[in-house]
Amino acid sequence: MFTLTEEQELIRNTAREFAAQYCAPIAAEVDDEARWPEESVAAMAELGLMGVPYPDKYGGAGADYLSYTVAVEEISRVCASTGVILSAHVSLACWPIYHFGTEEQKLKYLPDMASGAKLGAFCLTEAGAGTDAGSQTTTAVLDGDSYILNGSKVFITNGDKADVFIVFAMTDKSKGTKGISAFIVEKAFPGVAVGKHERKMGIRGAHTTEILLRDVRVPAANRLGKEGEGFKVAMATLDGGRVGIAAQALGIAQAALDESIKWAKERQQFGKPIAANQGLQFMIADMATQVQAARHLVYHAASLKDEGKPYSKEASMAKLFAAETAMQQAIKAVQIHGGYGYIKGTTAERLMRDAKITEIYEGTSEVQRMVIAATCLK
Amino acid sequence: MPNIITCYKWVVDEADIKVEGNGALNFERAGRKISEYDRNAIEAAVQIVETAGGSVTAVSLGGPEVKNPAKDGLSRGPDKAILALDPRFAEADGLTTALGLARAIGSAAGPFDLILCGEGSGDVYGQQVGPRLAELLGIPSITFVNKLTVTATGVVAERKLEDGVEVVEADFPVLVTVLPDLNKPRIPGLKQVMGAAKKPVVVLDAAALGLTEAELGARAEARGVKAASSNRKQVKAESVAALAEAIAAALR
Repeated sequence: MFTLTEEQELIRNTAREFAAQYCAPIAAEVDDEARWPEESVAAMAELGLMGVPYPDKYGGAGADYLSYTVAVEEISRVCASTGVILSAHVSLACWPIYHFGTEEQKLKYLPDMASGAKLGAFCLTEAGAGTDAGSQTTTAVLDGDSYILNGSKVFITNGDKADVFIVFAMTDKSKGTKGISAFIVEKAFPGVAVGKHERKMGIRGAHTTEILLRDVRVPAANRLGKEGEGFKVAMATLDGGRVGIAAQALGIAQAALDESIKWAKERQQFGKPIAANQGLQFMIADMATQVQAARHLVYHAASLKDEGKPYSKEASMAKLFAAETAMQQAIKAVQIHGGYGYIKGTTAERLMRDAKITEIYEGTSEVQRMVIAATCLK
Repeated sequence: MPNIITCYKWVVDEADIKVEGNGALNFERAGRKISEYDRNAIEAAVQIVETAGGSVTAVSLGGPEVKNPAKDGLSRGPDKAILALDPRFAEADGLTTALGLARAIGSAAGPFDLILCGEGSGDVYGQQVGPRLAELLGIPSITFVNKLTVTATGVVAERKLEDGVEVVEADFPVLVTVLPDLNKPRIPGLKQVMGAAKKPVVVLDAAALGLTEAELGARAEARGVKAASSNRKQVKAESVAALAEAIAAALR
């Protein structure tokens, strides 16, 4: 079903070589010290990975979304923190500008972002508005030819490193979700500040912070889409983002399988490798099957997006299945490693912590089920 | 501004080879890639042109297993590619390969100053093609090179030999086979990958290269390939002579 094109295969090779050369040597340290993988982010920019699916005109590589998906998978297979840094930038920050932006906005922001000179972040979540994203309390009040933004955003991936933020704020509270608007906000705008840094269970190298907005004057020209269209922008962006996170989860799941196979062949007990036990063989068989099934769902969702077909349901299916696959395979990988899998510093242990977030962010598994059910029962 | 030709082979990715229970190798699911040392040769060519100017032409020869290695090669920096592709190259040995490459270079590459090849290929590592190609083209060859400097009229090469380092100078045109210490091949960027499709590629088959049946005929036949295996045995004996005998017996 999915025979990748030659370009897609070559992009996979590039992502794989990048991950082996840059991410692998520092993945454990990045996790342990919650260190931002600066050198990897710089190399991703150099290799053109920060703008995979955007046209050359906007500084991108001019490849497709499936290529980008494959790249996120390969990078996350080695370092899930680096995978989400890329995914948040490409899917959540660049994409809404590319899809909803005016030509001026695209030409102003995308070339620097797609080249990796500037990093992006997506500011939707608030302390009281998580899954219920419509309960935004951040406000945007029109004042002449600009808006004044006030509020705080939480759990912002790339928060402290981003130069460009996609910010959602209420322009008319009385209209509920139809009163939300989206804005392109630069870090340099006075009043933008980075708040608390979260200490996370996993993906510790990817920084997650608060973003504080205090009387931030944003030119009206930086409004993304029409006034009141913000919720639509957010939801459409998250559909694509889900494919990115599904790819991240797929990479984690593949890594759990890789680590399990390697260990099962090496680890000797009772005078033979533990892989000689049928109980373990069956675990490996189930893991491999789940990972392959997840891959088909993820690639399929990305392909639909490339073809311009509706893909919201498939993106949710891919994200739901890949995230749960990542978590289940990571748990099995720890089990296969026995006591060693429970020790800090083993890859299986990191994978289990990294996997969990994929069931939560960019729509929890429960939200994905709501989206899927709503489409099925329409 | 040297015009450089770099030759590369499309080989089985050894990481994908599975070993069967009887030691036989299973290539069924093995992908293909550019042979490692040939990547060093391509990188060297691209680096020279980046500083001295000139052009890089990549040349590859392969059988039915090779679909089209041009984009992979071109994404690493060369300006154009010449592919000698023919199902009959499946069993091409060092001489046939060198002949095919020589004809391909003669018919499509134009004038050149320097040819860069990997010291040996990642699959058979015969170390035949480079020197044979030089001989066929009537130019000198320098092997085992791990440092290379290009001057206005030729090259200065350091050959890494078993008992020391030999520094050799040669005028253009010259062929150099390189070792992996020479450089670290770059990872192709996405723009280079996407741009590869826009670069010119010339494809020639055995007939177009004027290769006769005799020239194409396999001189050697691979009867089988098996994975290397190792066994550990503990041999104990009362005397050195008895030990020698016991070891000899164990080795039989």
